[in-house]
Parts: sequence; C-alpha cells; structure tokens
Amino acid sequence: MTWYLGDLIPYLPLILQGLWVSIYVSVASFLAGSALGLVAYRAKAGGSPALRRMSSAYIEVIRNVPLLVVLYLIYFGLGQFGINLDPLWSTLIALTINNGAYVAEILRAGFDSVPGGLREAAQALGMSSRQTFRYVVFVPGIRKVFPALTNQFILLFLFSSVASVIALPELTNALMTVNSNTLRTFEVFTVGALLYYAVSSVLAVGSRVGEKRLFRW
Amino acid sequence: MGDLLTYLPPLARGAWMTIILCLIVGVAGSILGFVIGLARASSIGVLRWVSAIYTNFLRGIPLLIILLFTYFALPLLIPGADFSQLMSGAIGLTLFVSAYIAEVVRGAIESVPRGQYEAAEALGLGFFNKFRYVIVPQAMRVMVPPWVGILLAMIKDSSLVSVIGFVDLTQAGKIVGTTTMQPLWAFVVVGAVYFFICYPLGRFGRWYEKRLSISLARPPDTLQILMPAVTGLLEHEPPELPESPESPRDAGGTT
Repeated sequence: MTWYLGDLIPYLPLILQGLWVSIYVSVASFLAGSALGLVAYRAKAGGSPALRRMSSAYIEVIRNVPLLVVLYLIYFGLGQFGINLDPLWSTLIALTINNGAYVAEILRAGFDSVPGGLREAAQALGMSSRQTFRYVVFVPGIRKVFPALTNQFILLFLFSSVASVIALPELTNALMTVNSNTLRTFEVFTVGALLYYAVSSVLAVGSRVGEKRLFRW
Repeated sequence: MGDLLTYLPPLARGAWMTIILCLIVGVAGSILGFVIGLARASSIGVLRWVSAIYTNFLRGIPLLIILLFTYFALPLLIPGADFSQLMSGAIGLTLFVSAYIAEVVRGAIESVPRGQYEAAEALGLGFFNKFRYVIVPQAMRVMVPPWVGILLAMIKDSSLVSVIGFVDLTQAGKIVGTTTMQPLWAFVVVGAVYFFICYPLGRFGRWYEKRLSISLARPPDTLQILMPAVTGLLEHEPPELPESPESPRDAGGTT
C-alpha cells in the first residue's frame, strides 16, 4: 500500500460540495432546533400540566433514542403513510427534532441557574413577565450556557454525517463515493477525518473567541 | 402490526447483538479511556502530549468516519487481518468512547485538590501508590455520573455500526421494516427498545449525581455529632459519638 493523494484531486469539488452541504444542514437545523428547544423549555417550565408532560416526554424520548433510528423513522417510516420526504428534508427534520431536545435541556440548566431573587427583583421594578424573561433570565442564562450550546453545535455538525446513510450528498457521503470510485480508501478517510477535524477545531476556537466578544459586560 | 410479531425473533437477536457490542465496548473503552486519561493527567510531558492529540482528534471527528475507517482502511494497514463487522465496529466504537472517557477521567483527577497530592507525597507514596490509594478513589466519585452519561450515549451511538453492515438492533429493524413493508412500526419498536435500555441508565446517572452533590455539598453536621452526646447526658449514659467520617466528603449520603 502506498500513500498517493493524486487520485483524489479530481474529486476535490465533490468533497468541498459535500462539506458545504454538511455545514449548511447543521446550521439550518441548529437554528430551527434551538427555536424548538426554547419552545420545549418554556412549555416544560411554565406551561399547563398537559403541555409540561408533553414537553418532557418529547425531551426524554429523543434523548434516549438514537438519531439514526429517528432518521430512519422519518425517511422510511413516514413513507408508510405516503409521506415521502427527500433526504434533505428528512435530515433537516431529524436533526432539528434531535437538537431541540438537547438544547431544551441546556437552556433549562442555564435559565434555572438565574437566582429566584433576581426574578422577584425584576417584578418589584415593575417589569412584565415577558420583560423579566427577556432581560433577567434569557440573556444571563444564555451567557452561562454559551459554551454548552456551541459544543452542541459541534456535536450536531459531527453527527450530521449520519445523513450519509440516507444518501444525502454531504461530506461523508461524498467520501464514500470517492472511496468506491478511486479505491484509495486510506487516503480518502484520512482526508475526510482531517476535514471534519479542521472544521470542528475552527468552531471550537470560534466559540471561545465569540464568548469573550459577545459577553463583555 | 400483527405481521411484526412474527418478526420479533430477529429484532430480539439484533437487540442481543447491540447488548454484546455495548458490553465489549463499555469494558474496553472504559479501560482504554482510563489509561489515556491517566496519561493525560500525568507529569510526563510526552505522555501528556500524545494523549492530548489522541483525545482531541477523536473528539473532533464523527463516529461514522472512525467506523468507516476501521472497517475499510484498517484491514489494509494490517496485512492478513480479517476483521468481522463486529470486530471493526467494536474497535471503532472503543476508540471513540475511550477519547470521551479519557477527558472525564482527566477532569476528575484534576478535581482532586492539590493538597491531596502533596499529602500523598509527604507520606512517601510513590507515583503508582499515590494514584492507587489517594487520587483515584477520590476522583472515582466525581467520575461516575459523566461516565454513565458516556455509556448511555455509547448505546445510542452503537446504532451506527449498522452502517458497516453489522446486524445490530437498528439494522434488524431496517431488515424487518423492509420485509414486512411496515418500516414505521419496525422503527417504533426499535426506538422503544433503545428507550427502555437507555432511560433507566439515565435515571440512575441522575440519581447518583444528586446523591453525590448532596454528599459533596453538606459540611460535617455539627448537630449530628453533638446530639447523641447531649441526649446521652440526659439519659445519664456514657455519650456515644458517631464514627467520625474519613473525610468531610464522606459525610452524608442518602442511601
């Protein structure tokens, strides 16, 4: 076995295209998932008992079932009802649902860390409950869990590779295609691993810089 | 749904394979992770350096890439090696899990106060004995909740070995779903099995964490120590002092 990267060069556009799809899918589902997570948190923390139960059932079920099974359920399972989603939509939905549950738990940790006295103080100052949440709970809570949230984003990016099994042309899928075309197995997966590592390192560094710049008070 | 009942045996076999894989990886990954975590916290520069690269790299790439690598590329590296899918999957998953466990071990070891190291050294304990009798027993308690969390994640992550063709629970679900033409029910059953394996484990982790935080937070209870003495005086009996806890950390607990 000899190390030769030359065979990979023609496939560079395909690989980079795959990387772009990976990033795009993770950003989209992280944003949607965070919104879903916020809703799930609000439902669990302050909703009616029925809402509360539904929200914790959602969080517990998703956190205890593999992402791959959820993805299969959406991609293959919904077909039974005649709902045939393409790989992109299936992935977006599965990652959003998955991320929502984890973000809800992260937010709970952050928002619950805001002392009750602060909320009472805000009310005493005449802030509405919406204002209290916005200024007293939300911003300091996010500040506290910012590293956990960015870490969750990195994990989401890494786990978006799972979408390759339903033939979404993201990075891992592109690598598998290149592998079967060139048979340069060792080189292909080394390059792929390094690409993933590079992106997740950049994200990790960006998270640390962002934390310092965003929360400077 | 009725169709599915006849397909329960293959699903059960899949679940069994998942359990076997998780047992192998749980043990191997914990041991490897523990050793690497110790290396990560050691005072030898090279060891620290190599183990840092190992954990950082493996935590920065997707599990699927590791599995594809161990399945497709690793046999090329070792001439004459013929890995089964279980073997490839177990190796890949072990590498992945060990990196996360190593970080937990390192964090736990570093959480042991500096004074404990100095005390151990002052007692003349060598490197091995210092860790064996002083540091690791204290770190162990902090380690357990995140360690359980990693094992829980491992059970879910093990579903990815289905991608390299190992017939675990997920793959069995996929096969049954295709043959019965009822993929929805097949995956609901598969998801439920994962849930009933993972949920109790998660509850245990949270219970242990709560117990631990109580025992770590509570200072030695003066009243608890004094009360028997006081009641003893009232009853004109020699006061019975409770056994003094070995360290403030051991005080309390809710078992």
